[in-house]
Amino acid sequence: MAADLASTLADLKEAEVLKIVKDRLGAGEEPLKILDDARRGMEVVGKRFADSEYFIPDLVYSGEILKVVTDLVKPKLTKEVGTKKLGKVVFGTVAGDIHDIGKDIVVFMLDVNGFEVYDLGVDVPAQKFVDKIKESGAPIVGLSGFLTLAFDSMKETVEAMKAAGLRDKVKVMIGGGQITDEVRKYTGADAFGKDAMAGVALAKKWIGAG
Amino acid sequence: MPVIRDILLSLKSREVLRRQGFRGGSRVRPEIKSLITEILATVKKTHLLEPAVAYEIYLIAGMSPDRISLEGGKAIEGPLLAAIFPEAKELAVIIATIGPGLEKQVTDYTSRGQHLRGTLLDGIGSAAVDSLIPQALKSIADGVSSRGYEISSPVVPGMPGFPLTEQWNLLELAKAKEIGVSLTASGVMVPQKSTSMVIGIGPKMTRWTQAEVCRRCSLKETCPYRVTE
Repeated sequence: MAADLASTLADLKEAEVLKIVKDRLGAGEEPLKILDDARRGMEVVGKRFADSEYFIPDLVYSGEILKVVTDLVKPKLTKEVGTKKLGKVVFGTVAGDIHDIGKDIVVFMLDVNGFEVYDLGVDVPAQKFVDKIKESGAPIVGLSGFLTLAFDSMKETVEAMKAAGLRDKVKVMIGGGQITDEVRKYTGADAFGKDAMAGVALAKKWIGAG
Repeated sequence: MPVIRDILLSLKSREVLRRQGFRGGSRVRPEIKSLITEILATVKKTHLLEPAVAYEIYLIAGMSPDRISLEGGKAIEGPLLAAIFPEAKELAVIIATIGPGLEKQVTDYTSRGQHLRGTLLDGIGSAAVDSLIPQALKSIADGVSSRGYEISSPVVPGMPGFPLTEQWNLLELAKAKEIGVSLTASGVMVPQKSTSMVIGIGPKMTRWTQAEVCRRCSLKETCPYRVTE
């Protein structure tokens, strides 16, 4: 019996995962079914991460495996299905903060989990978020900040969205090293994610895919 | 103004793993372990770490509950220092960095889609800063011991009672420019893999462990990098 793709991916057995995917594609299997199995595997990874069985490098490793799987499967998908994304997310580290590694991990995990992410980088002024939300029509915004000084920037960014008449059109999540629900209330964001997988879960919930 | 550059950093994989959120007893995948070993070898081979420490020792001119006055009309604000160093005769202000090379390489990895490498290298950078601190402290301790003095454990801006806004002051006091460390307009250190701290110096100084610092931190329940022993 062929090994199960979801559990093999959940166990982060990269070489075996790629063999299974290639074999299944070679046998003419429906590509979407393969991607669904891979995403089920990622759900297990997320659970193991939440249970402290996996750590950030494991999470990122799983994302890299999923990226390779997606790259293998994509050419077999119809153009319409192949380019379909779960939803759009505008993401960046707020003005005054230049920390990028945490933001990069969340952006990567959102991307490999099927979101179209507009990564605005670090030290992003509030107006730049507003402009990108208007331009992209993204319904989800992620504000990252590692230091306490980021809290005021997050608040100003949320207020800028409100002033631009966008606040009711977007859900805002915040995240970073020291974010708590108190900070969430202070900034006016809708939710905070304590790690990358929490960010992915929030985005999925908000677009109705969670 | 003393600058120490000739520093040999020896990184222990245990510390690198702690900076990745792994704790004692956690299972580390062989792929992750071997990648850390490989990246550490690359770091060494390519001289990615450029450790440097700038520090200055000041005589304490006076203490009040909210500030410590130093010679030359200078001062450091915040109630923590006076409370924690009442016995100090001098203060050393220290800035340490591993230079900009490592974080440039992290950005390079990430922009090329090598996220795991980027993540691991970033953790190695944090571990390198961690390992730089005791060496800097030892060097200062050796220097003051001839005068019969010892050093306290360090305190860093951001601890309760030692405001982050003092960063500008500390960089000025330690002449951090000499080792290429500066602050952004909002007070973030550049290179990011840098740290600032103050130690008390006197005939008999109090010392504490990193685990004790972590126990008093507001993030003690959630910080993935906390030291527990």
